[in-house]
Formats: sequence, C-alpha cells, structure tokens
Amino acid sequence: MARALVVWLLALLAAAFVTARSHYVADLSAFLPSAPSAEQAVLLDQLRSGVAARLVLIGIEGSTPAQRSAASLEWGRVLRKSGLFESVNNGDNSQYESLGTFLFEHRYLLSPAVDAQRFSVDGLRSAIDETVSLLGSPAGAMIKPVLLRDPTGETVRMAESMLPASAPRTEGGVWVSRSAERAVLLATTRADGSDLDGQQHALEQLRDGFAPYAAQGLKLVVSGAGTFAVASRAQIKHEVERLAIAGSAAIVLLMWLAFGSLRALAIAVLPVGTGVLAGIATVSLAFGQVHGITLGFGTTLIGEAVDYAIYYLIQAHAPLVAGAERGSGARRWIVRNWPTVRLGLWTSLCGFIALIFSGFPGLAQLGVFSVAGLIAAALTTRFVLPVLAPDGAPGLGLRRQLGAATGRAASFAPRLRWPLWLLALAALGLLLWLPSPWRGDLASLSPISSDALKLDAQLRGDVGATEGGTLVALSASDEAGVLALAEQAGARLDRLVTEGALQGYDTPVRLLPSPATQAARRSALPDAPELRGRVAQAAVDGPIKAERLEPFIADVQAARSQPTLTRASLQGTPLATAVDAMLVPGRDGKPWRVLLSLQTGERGIPADRLRTALSGVPGAQVVQISTELGALYSRYLREAMWQAGLGALAVCVLLGLYLRSWRRLLGVVEPIAAAVLVVLAALALHGAALGILHLVGFLLVVAIGSNYALFFDQLRHAQGSVSGSDDSNESDDSDTLASLALANLTIVISFALLALSSIPALYAIGQVVAPGTLLCLLLSAAFVRGTPRSAV
Amino acid sequence: MNTLRRVLMASACALLVIGTARAATGTFDLAQLTQLLASKRSGEATFVEKREVSVLDRTVMTSGRLSFEAPDTFVRENLKPQRERVAVVGNMVTMSRGDRTRSVALDTVPEASVIIEAIRGTLTGNRESLQKLFETNVSGNAERWALELVPRDARLRAQVATVRVSGQKAEVREMLVVLPDGDRSTMTIEPVLARAASPAAAGSGAAR
Repeated sequence: MARALVVWLLALLAAAFVTARSHYVADLSAFLPSAPSAEQAVLLDQLRSGVAARLVLIGIEGSTPAQRSAASLEWGRVLRKSGLFESVNNGDNSQYESLGTFLFEHRYLLSPAVDAQRFSVDGLRSAIDETVSLLGSPAGAMIKPVLLRDPTGETVRMAESMLPASAPRTEGGVWVSRSAERAVLLATTRADGSDLDGQQHALEQLRDGFAPYAAQGLKLVVSGAGTFAVASRAQIKHEVERLAIAGSAAIVLLMWLAFGSLRALAIAVLPVGTGVLAGIATVSLAFGQVHGITLGFGTTLIGEAVDYAIYYLIQAHAPLVAGAERGSGARRWIVRNWPTVRLGLWTSLCGFIALIFSGFPGLAQLGVFSVAGLIAAALTTRFVLPVLAPDGAPGLGLRRQLGAATGRAASFAPRLRWPLWLLALAALGLLLWLPSPWRGDLASLSPISSDALKLDAQLRGDVGATEGGTLVALSASDEAGVLALAEQAGARLDRLVTEGALQGYDTPVRLLPSPATQAARRSALPDAPELRGRVAQAAVDGPIKAERLEPFIADVQAARSQPTLTRASLQGTPLATAVDAMLVPGRDGKPWRVLLSLQTGERGIPADRLRTALSGVPGAQVVQISTELGALYSRYLREAMWQAGLGALAVCVLLGLYLRSWRRLLGVVEPIAAAVLVVLAALALHGAALGILHLVGFLLVVAIGSNYALFFDQLRHAQGSVSGSDDSNESDDSDTLASLALANLTIVISFALLALSSIPALYAIGQVVAPGTLLCLLLSAAFVRGTPRSAV
Repeated sequence: MNTLRRVLMASACALLVIGTARAATGTFDLAQLTQLLASKRSGEATFVEKREVSVLDRTVMTSGRLSFEAPDTFVRENLKPQRERVAVVGNMVTMSRGDRTRSVALDTVPEASVIIEAIRGTLTGNRESLQKLFETNVSGNAERWALELVPRDARLRAQVATVRVSGQKAEVREMLVVLPDGDRSTMTIEPVLARAASPAAAGSGAAR
C-alpha cells in the first residue's frame, strides 16, 4: 500500500513539473480546425494577423468641434510616434507628405495610365488637356506646382485609383462622425490580433496617453476586435476567479458539515488536484501547448472527481461493529463499491474519448484532459485514499442525518415515477414539436455587451470600416506570380465596379504592380529626343508651350532606368505598411498570398457572382468571413454532436456488456436519458440557442449521472441478492445514499454558480449541468425498479 | 376645412405684407434671394467657362451643360474640349471621364464641397447650406442681384478665396471663382427655356 503512495507522489511530481513548463495559449486557435480548407486557411490568417484583427477604432467626444479636431491632430502625431501602431489615420494628410513624394518619384511605374498610346502625340495632347481642365479649381491646387514635370497628370491618375470608395466625413482637417459629435481616428496595432498581451499593452498606452485631453473635458471611446478580446479575457479571468472562490467556499463548507473533519476535507481534494495536474500534463505532452479554454472547461470535471472522493470517504466508513480491524472499510469498499465507480469511470471515458478524435484542437484537448484527469482521479481514489484514510472519513458530521433524509426521499421518490415518466414524455414531445434549439453561433459565445457592439458599429460607420467581410485570396509560388494574379483579378473586379455591383476593392498592385507591368510601363516611355519631338507637336496651340516642358522630358528620361519596385525594395518606405497588409510573403513552404478586400456596400454581392467573375483567374478564392465563420462553427457543432452520439452509444454498449441484462441496462439508461430530455426541452421552451458548450454540459451530465444510476442499480441488485436485512447492509445503503446526495449537492452548487455568471460560456455549462445532475439523481431514485427497501 | 383655408390665406397675406415692406425699404437679403431661387424647382442651362491660370500660357475655355433639380441634384457636363461629367446627388459625387467613373462622398472632400455647394446651393436656393459654409453678402435687387460667398473655414479659404454668383430674378447667370493665388474662372450661364414638355418646368414657368 505504501508503494501506491510513492508511485502517486512521483507521478504527481512529474505532472507538476510538466505543468509548470507547459506553454499556455489563449488565441482563437482552439475554435479553428486543425486541417482547414483553403478558404478556412485564409480566414485563419486573417483572424490571427489580418488587419481587421488589429484595427482600433477611436472616437473623441465632448467639448467643441474645434477642440476635438485640435486634439485629434495633436494626439494623432503622438500616437504615430509611439511605435505601437503601424498606422494612425485621422484625416490629417500631412503625414502622407513622404508617401506623396515617393509616389510622385515613381509615377511612371505606378500610374495605371502609362502605356505607349499615352506617349503618342494624340495621347500627350489629350492627357495635357485633361490635366489642364483641373486647373483654376481647388482640385488643381495639388498639380499646379508640378504641372511642368507632370503635364500628363499621372499624379492625378494614381490618386484617383487609390481614392477609397468610402471615407469618413472631414471637417476642420480631421475625420469626424456623420452621426454624432465626435472626431474619429483609425489605428492599426503592430501586435497581431492573436497577441492579446501586445493588444492589451497598446490599448493601455492608448488610454493613458489620452489623459491630458481628458483633463480638457474630452472623452475617449475605443472599440475594435482587440479591445473586445482583451476585455473578454479580463472579464472571463475575473469571473472565473470569483466563481472559483465562491464555489470552493461553498463546497468546503458543505464537506465540513458532512465530515466534520478538516483531515477528510484535505483528503477529498486529492483526487481532484491529481486529476487536474494529470490532465494539464497529458495535454501539454500530447499537444505541445495547453489552451486556456481547455483549462476553463476541463476543470469542470472537478465535479466528477470530487464525487469519487465523497463516495470513498463515506462508503468506506468502517462498519460500526466492535472489533472491526483497521482498513477493513477500504477493503470492503474496494470489493463492494469500486466496481460501480469503475464502471461509472468507463462510461464517462466513453463520452470524452469521442472528443479526442475531433478535428478541432479545442475539443480534442478537452477530451484528452478529461480522460487523463478522470483516470488519475479514479486511480488516486482507488489506491491512495485507502492508504491515507483506511476507514473512510473519520468524522461523522451531519452524515447520519443526511443519509436518513436521503433514505426517506429515496423511498418516496418511486411514487413520483409516473408523473416523472409523463414529464419525460412531454419533454420528448415538446422537443419533436419545437424547432431545433441547436442554433447557437460564434457570437453567442462572446461576452461582449450590446452597448459595446452598438458603439463598435457606430465607429465603424464613422470611419467607413464596415467592410472587411468579403475577401478574394490569391496565391502563387513567388512575388511576381502572385502580383500578376492580383492584376488579373483586379481587371475582372474593375468590371464589377463599372457595372455598379461592387463599390471598390483594395489591392496591393496599385502600390506595387507586378514586375511585368512595371517593365511594360517603363518600355512605353520614349527616350528624350523622341519625346521632345512628340511634345512639340502635341503642344501646338495648347495651353502650355512645348519649350516649358523640359522638366517633364527629363523626368521621363530618368524613369526609363528606374529599378523595378519589389516588396523588399519598399521596406522602409511609407508604402511598406500598406502593401504588407495585403501581400503576405511565402515562407516555410507556404505560398505567397495576396488578399483583396472588397467594398461591397450595404447590399453586398453574392459570392457566386464573384466566383463567376473571377473564374478565369487561377486559384482565386472568394472568402466571406461571416459565412465562413458560421460554417466553421456549424461544422464544429455537427462534429461534436456526432461524436457525443457515438460516445453515448459506446456508453450503452459498455453498460450492456457489464450488466448483462436488458432490464438493468434500461434501468440505468432511462433516468439519464429522461434527465437530458427534460433539461433540453426546458431550454428549448425557454428559447435558448444551444451550442457547443451546452453539448459539453450534457456530456458531463451523462458522465456524472451514470454514476448515480449505477449506484441505484447496485443498491437494488444487492437487495435482490442479499435476502433478508441485516444492520450492516442497511447502514451501507444509507451511506451510499448519503454519498450520492452529498456528491450531487456539491455539483449542483458549483454549477449553479456558473449558471449565474454573465459570461455565456460559463452560463451555458452551468445552465445544463446543475439541473441535469439534480434530475439524474431524482430520476435514478424514482425509476429504481423492484421494491424499495423501506417499503418492505 | 374652411378654418384651415382661412388661416393659410391669412399667413400668405402676412408674408406678402412683410415682403412688400422689405422691398419698400430696399433691402434685398439672402432670405429673399434664396426664396426667389427656390421657386425654381429644376432647370437646365448651357455654360461657357473661361479660366485664367498663371501657369498656363493662354486662357482655357470650356463649355457644356448644367442641370439641377431640387432638393439636391446637380449635374455639370463638359462637352468641349473634352467630355466630362460630374453629377452630385445628395452627398454622392460621381465623376466620369472617358471610360472611368469614380464616386466619392462629398463630405469627405471639403474643398470640393465649397465649389459644389456654391453652385448647387445657389441654384436650388438652399439658404441653410449656403450660410453654413459661407459668409454671404447680397447686393442688388430681385431684378438683378449678386451673391458674394466667402468660405467660413480658414482651411477652405486657403483653397477658394471667393465665389461671386450673379443673376436676374430666379436665374443664375454668372459664377466667378477666385482662388487664393489669383487664378480665376468665370462661368457664363445661359438658361435653356425649352422644357415645356416637363410638367415641373411648366409649373415653375407659370409661377413666374
């Protein structure tokens, strides 16, 4: 027996070591498939590092418009200098000066209008006319100073192609809201969307940096994906801590009342602690990392592990027979009750093993965690507890009373049998009649308040960032290839823009055309003597005399030998950030990728129409983020339901094999199935949208409930085999009932606390498990077949 | 019914009296001018625009068509020397040149809104819009008037120094835009009267 203790201690030490060295992650990856489709891979990239995940929407409210715009201008400059943001846009165009210079110097490589025709005599004449038509109006202010270097207006053409389809209202030199008294800014963090610590740091700095303006009476509002993620994390952490403390306190109090001994209490915690450590260590070894979500849901298996300890401590209590030898209680428990607990363990494992084969790391980790944790907890109960507490819990506490009360309740319960049967039948009917409640979506997992969502929608409307829902993804083995594809796709999208089906789209090739396009534009530029001759002809009777256009001829001559722009040569220039947001370089065998984000307007555009339009572009993928996310979650849920179904089937087979009686099998399955039906029907009636977390909750109900049902089966079976009644048997039964009642109380209390949480994930699990397990116990008692003992 | 009519008649008379009183004192103000202009719900005109720009070697002439329709539609179409079209409907500006078309929201480019509101606001008699953007000064009388517009916002004054619109009765006849660097454009407007087929035009004709 002491050997068991040594092995346990060593295992505990090893698990603690692995746990301490584990890598904990908290990004979205748990919800994303491990073998994604091509569309999902794009989605994953976007969620992890895409621009949308890094956007921070900022509003400055209060005070006067003049003060708001002054604050926006000054603070914008401060934020740009902070280095935390890749870009900070607020309508202040002075920041684009260096960008403008760069574009102007490379206009003959970048302007979409440059071709051989443009540099013919006719082309030059009409281009000059067009440029001149802008002079004498405010629009001409930009080109007037450079007219003699750029008479064909390539600067205008570049600006035109880069003009966003939807932009914020501008007043007093900064962006302002159209719907509220507010200046708006749009920042992009350097930290990835999945780097929550980086996001949190940037947001904290942002809020701290606003202090001087707050002192002037201005008010800051912030929103965006990062803000939500950071806030949710903080909220979940805070609430989990609060609930854990409240739950632990309640359970400690309960156990103390039951056992009347701190020693028993300490022993009761051992299987749970061992289970959690073993679970984390196994997940860490199997997956290389432990997901925060796994930890959060996984620790709910405490519910079942605590039960093991309670069963042992109460049931192994030495019979109150004089002269009973020390340790006889443990030996008797191992013979009488351990097989039942073991069977309960097997059935629980069936449910959770099914999850291990999930294509979603989050579910698979949860499966591994639960399986390892439950095995460890059961082994601890079986081998370690008999050493530490050979005769169960030493103290008596209120156990007697609990046992007696439970006994009375249990003997009364069978009278409720028919009403409860009817209730279960009604539940089944209701479920068949009501629409399926399994319609939870990703949004239902989010703890974001509706006020925060409303503010987010307003700010997005203000800055024109309502889009980002539809992407076209292109990939190729190298930079030149993927940019050429982007140009092909762009030509097709342009047609949709002309037809009015699309408002616009963002593409990197406006800033970085493919090398082939750049070469074609360069070769369209005539040499100086040739150009001089054509300019002379084109300028006849024109508004600008030919001899004044020498600066133009010199610039074109210089552009003829300009090196081709590449992503690498753009690094360090003002264009780099903008290009990097749309062009993802290939590395580690992954291809180069271009993401074109479409501005579809409020009506949107059907994906099919886009696919048809892009059909000639090799490998073009149309990704609609919300559709894709929805599909992903439905797949997740479908897969989990399927696995849970298989698990339930495995449980039945296992029970059947062990019990070797249809009648007994029915007796065990009946109360669990009825409890699940009733809870499900109640939730459906209540209008709840059920999702993955409810399913996990039901899995837990089955795992825990099967123990109750098996104990009742054991009780009834023992009655059948042991004829007559002796005192020791009666006290055993009373102990079993007391242990069941206590185990159930702990679970109902801890999960009822979860059901009070404001976080949907915790709320969902609590809402299912607390009533589910209570019903399981009640129904197990009510549906027990044969004559209840006290009625004899 | 009768009561309502009487009330309406009474207020109409009151307005008439006030109007006459003002006319009698000889102050023709923005309220009266915009009221006069607003009486014309839609219209069409041809224009010739002459631009004098320091950097160019000769003045540039452009000609084309203008049309407007209350409350907020305005279209300018250049026919010579190149075809070009700018259509403003509400807050959306659509520019077409050759085979290229671009749309932008007017409020995203305040410097463009100065020019557009100066002409659209005047043609449709939108007093509120004019007063929001400009310091206004009306001279002359209903027969022959001039409206001087200076942008209120200093940033916009750096783009456009003044706009001077002049006209006769409900017709805008000339628009002069002076830029801060002295460049100027003068647009001479000739109303097209042949719109008898349109009931709206017939209505406004009757009102005159």
